[in-house]
Amino acid sequence: MATLTLDRLSKRYASAREVAVSDVSFTVADGEFMVLLGPSGCGKSTTLRMVAGLESITSGDLLIDGARMNDKPAKDRDIAMVFQSYALYPHMTVHDNLAFGLRRRSLPRDEIARRVREAAAALGLDQLLQRKPHALSGGQRQRVALGRAIVRHPKVFLFDEPLSNLDAALRVGMRGELAALHRRLSATMLYVTHDQVEAMTMGDRICIMENGSVAQIGAPLDVYAAPADTFVATFLGSPAMNLLPATLTTGGSALQLGSQSLPLDGPLAAAAARAPARDVLFGIRPEDLRPGDAGASLRARILDVEPLGAETIVRLCPEGLGSEMLMRVPRTFSGRPDEIATIAVDLAASHLFDPATTRRI
Amino acid sequence: MTAILGRAFLLLVLTLYTAFAAGPFIWAAMMSLRTTTEISNSHFGLPLPAHWEKFPQAWFNSNYSVYFANSASVVVTAVAILTIVGAMAAHCLSRYRFAGNRFVYFLIFSAIIFPPQITIIALFQTLVNYGLYNSLVGLTLVYVAVQLPLTVYILESFFARIPGDLFDAARMDGYSEWSIFWKVSFPIALPALATTVILNTILLWNEFLYAVVLITDEAKRTLPLGIQRFMGDQLEDVGMIATGLMIAIIPVVLIYAFFSEKLIQGMTAGAVK
Ligand SMILES: Nc1ncnc2c1ncn2[C@@H]1O[C@H](COP(=O)(O)OP(=O)(O)O)[C@@H](O)[C@H]1O
Ligand SMILES: [Mg+2]
Repeated sequence: MATLTLDRLSKRYASAREVAVSDVSFTVADGEFMVLLGPSGCGKSTTLRMVAGLESITSGDLLIDGARMNDKPAKDRDIAMVFQSYALYPHMTVHDNLAFGLRRRSLPRDEIARRVREAAAALGLDQLLQRKPHALSGGQRQRVALGRAIVRHPKVFLFDEPLSNLDAALRVGMRGELAALHRRLSATMLYVTHDQVEAMTMGDRICIMENGSVAQIGAPLDVYAAPADTFVATFLGSPAMNLLPATLTTGGSALQLGSQSLPLDGPLAAAAARAPARDVLFGIRPEDLRPGDAGASLRARILDVEPLGAETIVRLCPEGLGSEMLMRVPRTFSGRPDEIATIAVDLAASHLFDPATTRRI
Repeated sequence: MTAILGRAFLLLVLTLYTAFAAGPFIWAAMMSLRTTTEISNSHFGLPLPAHWEKFPQAWFNSNYSVYFANSASVVVTAVAILTIVGAMAAHCLSRYRFAGNRFVYFLIFSAIIFPPQITIIALFQTLVNYGLYNSLVGLTLVYVAVQLPLTVYILESFFARIPGDLFDAARMDGYSEWSIFWKVSFPIALPALATTVILNTILLWNEFLYAVVLITDEAKRTLPLGIQRFMGDQLEDVGMIATGLMIAIIPVVLIYAFFSEKLIQGMTAGAVK
């Protein structure tokens, strides 16, 4: 078990002009499940591969339990990694795939056999030990890849989008199994994904990356409730948070949205007081809008109603405003396109962003 | 109806092709069991009675045992070196990014474009200088040099298709680059290696030009040279040539049968996925 620390880690590929990862810093506590989340190409894999020792570190420090790892080769870092492609050795049986990493470490034979048996039992691979990877289903291959990491009893587990090659149903199942595995082993894990559902459900904390840098780090619900900037605000949550151009009235006691205005009080009024300019972006999540006129409300034209079954997504255009917003409501919603509806806005759950810096105010 | 016609046509074409390909082989096989006198009386006669004794006769009296041993040692050594060195070069060129990688690759590959007739005089001179002329070691080295470019070319394209994640996984599993070559790359590449083993064995087993230029001693002749010995200026011992041919062909057929089985196994097992 171990603590993993990344200190201003940067990477520039020899063939590239721009840095792929710049100044990424965070600490994964002993036994913590940390998720690296971000859109494709933002540098998640690169960060993970630097931790693994598969890519050299351009600058910054990598520490495991306080010891600097920058110059240690991958094989001496005692880290196990699960690859997106599973990377099972095609010429070896499941048993040999699991035992391969242990043989190198010259463990006694019966210890190897014991660990392989244990992992196989835990992952339900007992009956498949003599099969070759090509004779396994996607889900089974995924388990073998997991097993190969588990048998090693490493200090740190790394995962690079391990579930993205599974079909949707299997993915949900494996998500639960991975979370259970983490609880059982209480091991230090760093998990890369571009899937926000995986990040929200599995991570103790998530680190959101954008263009090679860290955008925000925190517990999933904290980040969801208080996104640091518009990128995080729109990346997390589906449908994404509504961002509407707005103007603060003089004195900052109200927010002008087109021709309508919302009174400000509480934290939002405090934020308004901090705003560097009168132009702001008003951010509110679709589920924080409701039909009705309790509290602050806006009048909006219904553009579109999309029933999804469990809930309904409504596309709205606030009167006097050029932009659209989405509202998430129960399936009992009865509004129709082209009607004008009154929409209650939960101001306590909304945010102001600075359009110049994109940061939350 | 058209389906039956189509099949019949296909069958006809295949039969013609088989006759075309196997005809000379069967003809030579029949001649190998007949004496030269019988052959000159009737070129296409059946081997009745079959002169099986011609085989031991060729083997013991006509020195075929020596030719065979020479060929075997030269070809087996050359193919072994080619396979290992070729695999290492292919692994290296396909897997490591280093300055000049493509240049080295092109340099090796460009050797393919020279026909042997152009280089053979220089080669002859070089071997004489190093005391390797008229020696089986020299011939083996030449065979390795001549076949290496094509071997690397075939293997490189196969090795390049092995997913890089496998190597990364092996590195995470604690293996050195050297062990990764032997325990991951090499076994995965077996189907491609079988291809080059077959190709090189057949080409070198039948190789004549380099052998005839670089070997003079009777005791160092390889099989193709041994067979050539029976082709005199005036009188050709056709019967004995056919017997020698059969002795030379049998190992090739065996190698092909054995390795092509492996080849098909390897491919259907989805070795690289
Ligand atoms: N081997 C490489 N050489 C050059 N550039 C690379 C290499 N690998 C990744 N990159 C670049 O680095 C950036 C980050 O890539 P990556 O870490 O794979 O992103 P992610 O895993 O978040 O999708 C991308 O712009 C990608 O093109
Ligand atoms: Mg990636």
